[in-house]
Amino acid sequence: MLVCGFGATNAQKPLRWGADPSGGAPYVFTDPSNPDKYIGYEKEMVDALATAMGRKAEFVPSDWETLVSALQRGSFDIIVNGLEPTADREKQILFSKPYYIFQLQLTVRRDEQRINSLADCKNRVVGTLSNTAASRILQQEGIPLRGYPDPVSAYRDLELKRLDAVLMDVPAEAFYVHSNPKLKRAGPPFMRGLYVIGLRKGDEALKKEVDAAINKIIIDGTLERILKSWNLWNDAQVEFQAPIRAGNQNAEVAYDMTTATFNWRDALFRLARAALVTVGLAFGAMIIAVIIGMPLALGQWKGPLVARALCTGYIEFFRGTPVLVQLLFLYFGLPVFGITMPGWVTALVGLGLNYAAYESQVYRAALDAIPNGQWEAAYMLGMSPVLAFRRIILPQAFRIALPPMTNDFVSLFKDTSVAFAISVWELATAYRELANASGQFLLLGITVSLFYLAMSLPMAHLARRLERRLRDRSERRVETTELAEAEA
Amino acid sequence: MIRVTDLRKQFGNNEVLRGITFAVAPQTVLGVIGGSGCGKTTLLRCLNGLERISSGMIECGEVKLESSLSSAEYRRRVKQLRRRVGTVFQHFYLFPHLSVLANITEAPVHVLKTTKRKAEAEAGELLDSVGLQYTARRYPESLSGGEQQRVAIARALAMRPDLLLFDEPTSALDPKRTSELRMLLREFVEHGHTMVIVSHSLGFLAGASDYLMYLEGGEVVEQGPTKELLNAPKDPRTKEFIRHAG
Repeated sequence: MLVCGFGATNAQKPLRWGADPSGGAPYVFTDPSNPDKYIGYEKEMVDALATAMGRKAEFVPSDWETLVSALQRGSFDIIVNGLEPTADREKQILFSKPYYIFQLQLTVRRDEQRINSLADCKNRVVGTLSNTAASRILQQEGIPLRGYPDPVSAYRDLELKRLDAVLMDVPAEAFYVHSNPKLKRAGPPFMRGLYVIGLRKGDEALKKEVDAAINKIIIDGTLERILKSWNLWNDAQVEFQAPIRAGNQNAEVAYDMTTATFNWRDALFRLARAALVTVGLAFGAMIIAVIIGMPLALGQWKGPLVARALCTGYIEFFRGTPVLVQLLFLYFGLPVFGITMPGWVTALVGLGLNYAAYESQVYRAALDAIPNGQWEAAYMLGMSPVLAFRRIILPQAFRIALPPMTNDFVSLFKDTSVAFAISVWELATAYRELANASGQFLLLGITVSLFYLAMSLPMAHLARRLERRLRDRSERRVETTELAEAEA
Repeated sequence: MIRVTDLRKQFGNNEVLRGITFAVAPQTVLGVIGGSGCGKTTLLRCLNGLERISSGMIECGEVKLESSLSSAEYRRRVKQLRRRVGTVFQHFYLFPHLSVLANITEAPVHVLKTTKRKAEAEAGELLDSVGLQYTARRYPESLSGGEQQRVAIARALAMRPDLLLFDEPTSALDPKRTSELRMLLREFVEHGHTMVIVSHSLGFLAGASDYLMYLEGGEVVEQGPTKELLNAPKDPRTKEFIRHAG
């Protein structure tokens, strides 16, 4: 196989293209009626391009945020995913000639009266896809935005009133909003941007091949047919394709290009804000966990049979399923039952409930570690079980539980990063979005790690000290006992 | 002070105590002696209500424990019993998170609802009486085994029990400390306390107790005044035990 691969010529090599199919309609997405198959206008377009190049198209499902780095790593040879040629991307990759003119469309809820254009959004939260023309425009305009990994969740949060508006490329907007009676367009589409195909730097030969293929499918009407079948044919495309079809293959197209506004001062400020959110999430969730953990531990430890079964069920459920899935369920699943919480509350509650299961086990281990003699000694002094628990057992158990709890806190601290899945702007989300917008994966990565370390190292240090103090104490106790026994 | 009649205790099919009968008069010390597994610790745990008796009766003042009682009623009476009976465990079980003084005042303040000031004054006197007034602010972990035991005694006495139970009080003590403990306990008896001491150390009980009861296989083999039992044991099993303890 390997030898064969080396010997093969370009014409026989498959055209490997990368795109994000999750919520990727109408570009490329999983066929709802046939989950093994991918469909979409760009899928059809790449197939046509490959045919024009005499190759076979091979789709490599990937993640939008990491498309550029995956291309550079060689996971595939071209990006075809509604990619806009921005200045910062130009530093990293090569662009083909454009194949589509896109516009942006603002969407609001049907009953919305106040928002009729982007200018009305100054003090509202607008959802969009991360690292797109729309997100860059919002950033430039200084409008608070929330980045989503796919259009579906953004439009759903708009319906659930977690957002005031959504700004999206017209293809996605047309596909998702067209049939949704709860949403409507706010104003006409605006801006004109280009979709191009991304290639690795230095891959000039492939670029030439791709450009030629794009011209070919424009001239022979294949692209028009595909776009029409997806309701994406409009005046902008007519204007764009006319000169090419007239034989002027190098005609310049008029378009706007967004640029990422990245500077370190702004990035550090946003990271610091994200760090505050992270700290708040960690402390809040830990408080919830420590409070709920105790009744769980007691229920499982000494409760009646029903309580014991319930508590065990709770603990096994929350420990046995990924916290990420739990968060997604709370965020997207609960609204089905009419409970809609904002992202940060969801993260707080989700992480709190999850860690309560772990803290209950810490409590239980600590309670088990108290010798039975402590109970008996308390009973001998006439104490009731409740009084003995409150005054004698609990204070001792808490001391034993403190070091492992501090450790758990450190790991909860890092686990807050799963909140990126529900678009809470904490450190991990900040890193992902800033790094993807700027390409500064290394430097930002180091900065974010330093943020985490600056917060978790003191906690870890505290945990170690508590542990050491506890160990020293118990060692002293063993020594005195041994001494006494040796004397006897 | 306490009267036990035909006390039996079973764990499943295993009868650990097989009809124990004895009485302890006020201001006297009963030593319970016997080899390992003779049931002496179980007897103690029945006397302080940690184990429910299988049959027979325990009377202490007006509190009467019988096996026929409902478990709620049994619990209620055990609570009354524990107001009269204090226990010093073999391993003391001091509360490690509380200072020596707080160990002693904890129950008077939270069970008897004595004021903190009064409880601390009494605790100071008790510590004085066991010779440990200097440890009041220290924590149990910093005390030697002998000191911990005396704190445990003070802690039990703070509840003003009629009867004090000891489980193997000499197991963590050297000979000098053992003899100090014996003198301390005799002093308490002179001041009106009554005790039951469970031990396998004949030497200690010979000096500490007024009466001795020898247990074997969960039965009382022989009981009587300490001197009589030691000097002229009637039962060959007692003789054998004393000879080995020699």
